[in-house]
Amino acid sequence: MIAQLRAELLKVRSTRTTFGLVIGMVGLTLVIVILSGVLTHPDGLSSKKDQLGLLSPGGVALIFSSLAGVLLVTSEYRYGTIHPTFVFTPKRATVLSAKLTAGLLAGIVFGVISIGLAVGIGSLILSARNIPSALSGSDISLLVLGGLAGIALRGAFGVGFGAIVRNQVGAMIGILAWDFVINGLLFGLAPSVGRFMPTTAANALMGLKTTHLLSPAAGGAVLVGWTALLALAGLVLTQRRDVT
Amino acid sequence: MVRDETLTAVVAESLTKRFGSVLAVDDLSFTLPSGTITGFLGPNGAGKTTTLRMLLGLASPTSGTALVLGRPYAELERPALSIGAMLEATDFHPGRSGRDHLRTLSRAVDLPDSRADEVLRTVELEAAGRRRVKGYSLGMRQRLGLAGALLGDPELLILDEPANGLDPEGVRWLRDFLRAFASEGRTVLVSSHVLSEVAQTVDQVLIINRGRLVVESSLQALTSRVGGAVRVRTPQPDRLQDALRREHLDADREEQTLHVRGADTDRVGEIAFTAGLPLHELASEGSSLEEIFLELTSEASA
Repeated sequence: MIAQLRAELLKVRSTRTTFGLVIGMVGLTLVIVILSGVLTHPDGLSSKKDQLGLLSPGGVALIFSSLAGVLLVTSEYRYGTIHPTFVFTPKRATVLSAKLTAGLLAGIVFGVISIGLAVGIGSLILSARNIPSALSGSDISLLVLGGLAGIALRGAFGVGFGAIVRNQVGAMIGILAWDFVINGLLFGLAPSVGRFMPTTAANALMGLKTTHLLSPAAGGAVLVGWTALLALAGLVLTQRRDVT
Repeated sequence: MVRDETLTAVVAESLTKRFGSVLAVDDLSFTLPSGTITGFLGPNGAGKTTTLRMLLGLASPTSGTALVLGRPYAELERPALSIGAMLEATDFHPGRSGRDHLRTLSRAVDLPDSRADEVLRTVELEAAGRRRVKGYSLGMRQRLGLAGALLGDPELLILDEPANGLDPEGVRWLRDFLRAFASEGRTVLVSSHVLSEVAQTVDQVLIINRGRLVVESSLQALTSRVGGAVRVRTPQPDRLQDALRREHLDADREEQTLHVRGADTDRVGEIAFTAGLPLHELASEGSSLEEIFLELTSEASA
């Protein structure tokens, strides 16, 4: 398992794909934090809820971390490297467990970068605009730690999702559709159901104050549940299906 | 490492794979003795790759069993240390360097990174090792795939169409390599849809068509067994034809020349001698291996 994890981490690092995802995430995060921080009227940035919203890495990091996880699995099927991977390690559960761990670790890296950027630049903008902070130390801690945990989990979540779908384009579109369309619509139209969706659960875990969100602990539990469910389904399917 | 010559490297027993209504592999049984090079031949779509995938545990048979070094592949501990496989020459991430590709594999089985450099040298690819695979020619990809198969210093090599896309020099290189590999008592299973590609390399052939085994024999036996004809010229072709007919041999006639099927030159010469007939020419005119191959594979599909 350690050997396989070292192999998986080298796979992540040895192409430009992950790097490209980090660049994309950084760019989008900067645009969103700077635009909303600079353009929003000070009245819209005074409350705890508003400031948490500004400082949170938001959906961007969650999405990019999931995509990194998806690519960890689907690029192997897309390029056929899954053949040598399974020939070298025929115990497919070992491969998938290593990928889930690698997804988690990649997610932590994504989380550190995006949270560092969002919290750092968001705070700078607030103080530059002389908007007094409404956040306590524990608010910030929850935002940082909950955010890290949520973004890391979403890396493993992506691995499980990719292992189920296998087709790279399909899995990427699937993740985006789930987050932006299904999750967004459900939370907007039926928040009592939508708050159990993975992205809204991750937002709850970060301690965001958006109405209808679950408590941070419950949000964390729901996100762990989603991740475990996808990982398990991916594991079962990966062991059962032929590799063509 | 001591290699057991008596061991059977691969055993397929009634191996069958069905995709929906298509029987891709149909009741296929064969064994590969250790220390031999076996050509696994058949036209494209005959079921070769599906069979190899079942041997390597990538696909599970609908019925039947495949044993590699005595056990189903998936039950082997660190199989890469005893079995090397190359499935498709396209099985690389284009954005990853050849060396990194090999290192992702060597790390998975706890081999040192230096092993990747060693096999790159073996396949004469060290100069390109740090370049991204997308810049590799097909021949270079074939060699990188072979390098991956060699990482664990295996005693059994399973190669799917390794000569595909190689130039004549590359084919010769591969042939010499496989010969040297097998001369150390190791076993090779190499598939191809072109018999002539492997004819000078293999000891025995398995020919399949439409998922069924058509021929399992030594290459020598195959060459003499099918299609081979003897050209014989005599001033008395009528009498020779009669003599041959008494020995149940058919011959096509072309003026003074007869083309005898199903016999070798020794036999035809003896028959002529016994009949007291003078010969002006006696030569074997075996059809090319490729013709034999086509004959076999179309026969079975007819």
